[in-house]
Amino acid sequence: MIEWSEEHLAFRDALRRFIDAEIVPNLEELEHGDTPPYDVLRKLYSTFGLTEMQRSRGEAVVAASRKADEARARGEEPARRQRQPGGNVDAMAMQLLLIKELCRFCPGMVTAMGVSTGLTGGALISKGTTAQKERWLTPILTLEKIGAWAITEPGSGSDAFGGMKATACRDGDGYVLNGNKTFITNGPYADTIVFICKLDEGDDTPQRDRRMVSFVLDRGMPGLTQSKPMRKMGLHSSPTGELFLQDVRAGRDRLIGESESAYGRGGAKETFGMERTGVVAMTLGMVERCLELCTAYAKERVQWDKPIGEYQLIQLKLAKMEVARMNLENLLFRQIELAGAGRSPTLAEASAGKLYAAQTCMEVMLEGVQLFGGNGYMAEYQIEQLCRDAKVMQIYAGTDEIQITHIARELLRD
Amino acid sequence: MKILVCLKQVPHKDARLEASGGWIDEGGIKFEINQYDTYALEEALRIKDAGEAEVVVATIGPDRTSQALRTALGMGADRAIQIWDDSLSGADSLTIAKLLAAAAKDESFDLVLMGLMSDDANNSLTGPMLAELLGLPHTTGAMKIELSDGKAQVERELEGGSLQVVDLPLPCLITVQTGLNEVRYASLKGIMQAKKKPLDKKGISDLGLDAAAVASKVTVDKLYVPTKGEGAEILEGSAGEVAQQLVGKIKELGLL
Ligand SMILES: Cc1cc2nc3c(=O)[nH]c(=O)nc-3n(C[C@H](O)[C@H](O)[C@H](O)COP(=O)(O)OP(=O)(O)OC[C@H]3O[C@@H](n4cnc5c(N)ncnc54)[C@H](O)[C@@H]3O)c2cc1C
Repeated sequence: MIEWSEEHLAFRDALRRFIDAEIVPNLEELEHGDTPPYDVLRKLYSTFGLTEMQRSRGEAVVAASRKADEARARGEEPARRQRQPGGNVDAMAMQLLLIKELCRFCPGMVTAMGVSTGLTGGALISKGTTAQKERWLTPILTLEKIGAWAITEPGSGSDAFGGMKATACRDGDGYVLNGNKTFITNGPYADTIVFICKLDEGDDTPQRDRRMVSFVLDRGMPGLTQSKPMRKMGLHSSPTGELFLQDVRAGRDRLIGESESAYGRGGAKETFGMERTGVVAMTLGMVERCLELCTAYAKERVQWDKPIGEYQLIQLKLAKMEVARMNLENLLFRQIELAGAGRSPTLAEASAGKLYAAQTCMEVMLEGVQLFGGNGYMAEYQIEQLCRDAKVMQIYAGTDEIQITHIARELLRD
Repeated sequence: MKILVCLKQVPHKDARLEASGGWIDEGGIKFEINQYDTYALEEALRIKDAGEAEVVVATIGPDRTSQALRTALGMGADRAIQIWDDSLSGADSLTIAKLLAAAAKDESFDLVLMGLMSDDANNSLTGPMLAELLGLPHTTGAMKIELSDGKAQVERELEGGSLQVVDLPLPCLITVQTGLNEVRYASLKGIMQAKKKPLDKKGISDLGLDAAAVASKVTVDKLYVPTKGEGAEILEGSAGEVAQQLVGKIKELGLL
């Protein structure tokens, strides 16, 4: 893919019309206050027919899962889903366009949406049983219910797998869950939570080596507390919170895959790959918007009787932003092509893309603020918000440092 | 019921325009469907939603305008016609109306809807001209359209907020005001389906016309933004002094 098609652009234009009418006028409350993004996201979904599409998708996943169960019951190997080469191009392009366009104004909103439908929904799709998919999946995909995906703890972030303290202890035919999670996107408002912890078998295996298991929890379960939104630097249209679990009783029907080995490191790693891919589209939207704001300002702002765009130091900033925009767009086109070929990037490739995107985005935003001078530092100009939002791209979905270790590990592998 | 919606692609409302000779410099600016026309399209789609109708959209414009037609197809129109020839660049309203009339003549539309005017040229001519060429009754500036028993009842906006109600027999042509409905968004599914809907590209001769017969009669000499402040003089001083100077000026120029 070297260019967006007419259909892609038609969708982009329709999205922009919606965003101009429904999001831009409320940007202040969304990005400087505590207005949760869910209502406007639901409106977006229903306006563009995404609710219906996601509902059909949920139903199709359930039907396919049921068929696979039946095949297994007959002692057969379930048929693997055939991916049609090229068939995924438009689906992938449209999904990434939605992310990119929203990120021109609200990267937080995309985070909230992505964690709910992509991570929480994704965990159920890849590892849930048919019954679990039937019970939780469709409302999460349609955003009728909001999902959260909780692995990070106060004591473990980059080392989430190893340092995790939260536990599940077997209890009769179910489990008792304990532990605290933090920085959880949608945590304060989530209806459905994927909770990842270690299986404590009561033996003396060190906590670090214990097996990981995960559960689906519902809002309001006894012993589960969801905090208020945490104060943070930016990304305000994405509520972030803590979860406290004290002796939460969960039946085996909540254990993802109904198996103690279903959702281990493999499941979580799959999720990381997806998150990292999404960041490229997010940063492209932000960089595009920044470049638009900066070119307009460079033409308009006059110092020494000349628009500042006539000074070479300002031109250098704009040119670098354009280079970044082109690179990010090409990375995105590659992702779309890969999806079209029925392939996913390796974890190292996803990490490389994420690392480049996050660092580039941060550099671009800082230069954007600089180009705006004092106005750049003022909340009245959108560049201030984009700059605050950009920082998180280097932290969540794996910090820059962690991406580097993943890339290097692949390079140095024997 | 068969409805024709004529639409035009115009520079995006936020585009920075530079005049060059008789028209704007089109390089590097974004285009969108003329606002007025989006309301005409929405009205046609509502008629389709309420019963059976085929909605055909037509435009006259270069390659870039197929984007506008795709958007219209994505919103729910059934097929599209795009007419272009490089000689049509800068065409006047009568030329446009002649081309649209040629495209429409064998289709026997029951209703032709279009915007009252275009956001860029502001002529308000194409609709009435097209109606005359097709021999259709017509009205302009519709704020409300109701169809029943082979006729259209139209509320038109007049100066000062008053409304006029007119009845027209079908087939007829109506131009619409902005705000007569709420324009829908193209859904994602609609946009994907639009890919498979027919978009017919036609040249002048495909319409059975020859270039000389549709040549423009109006030529634009110049397009420019009047320079600001020319001839203005700012009077300074206290209110009393300014008033006195002003009276002096009025007398001096013999304005009273
Ligand atoms: C807005 C936001 C939303 C989030 N949403 C979620 C969510 O929905 N679910 C969830 O589970 N988590 C979420 N997180 C958590 C996020 O994934 C973690 O913050 C991130 O993985 C980093 O972990 P940490 O904060 O504990 O930092 P640490 O791991 O404590 O890192 C501190 C610093 O040390 C560096 N470092 C650590 N280890 C190494 C090493 N081996 N080599 C070199 N440098 C190292 C890091 O790169 C970093 O610079 C969210 C975070 C934020 C900010």
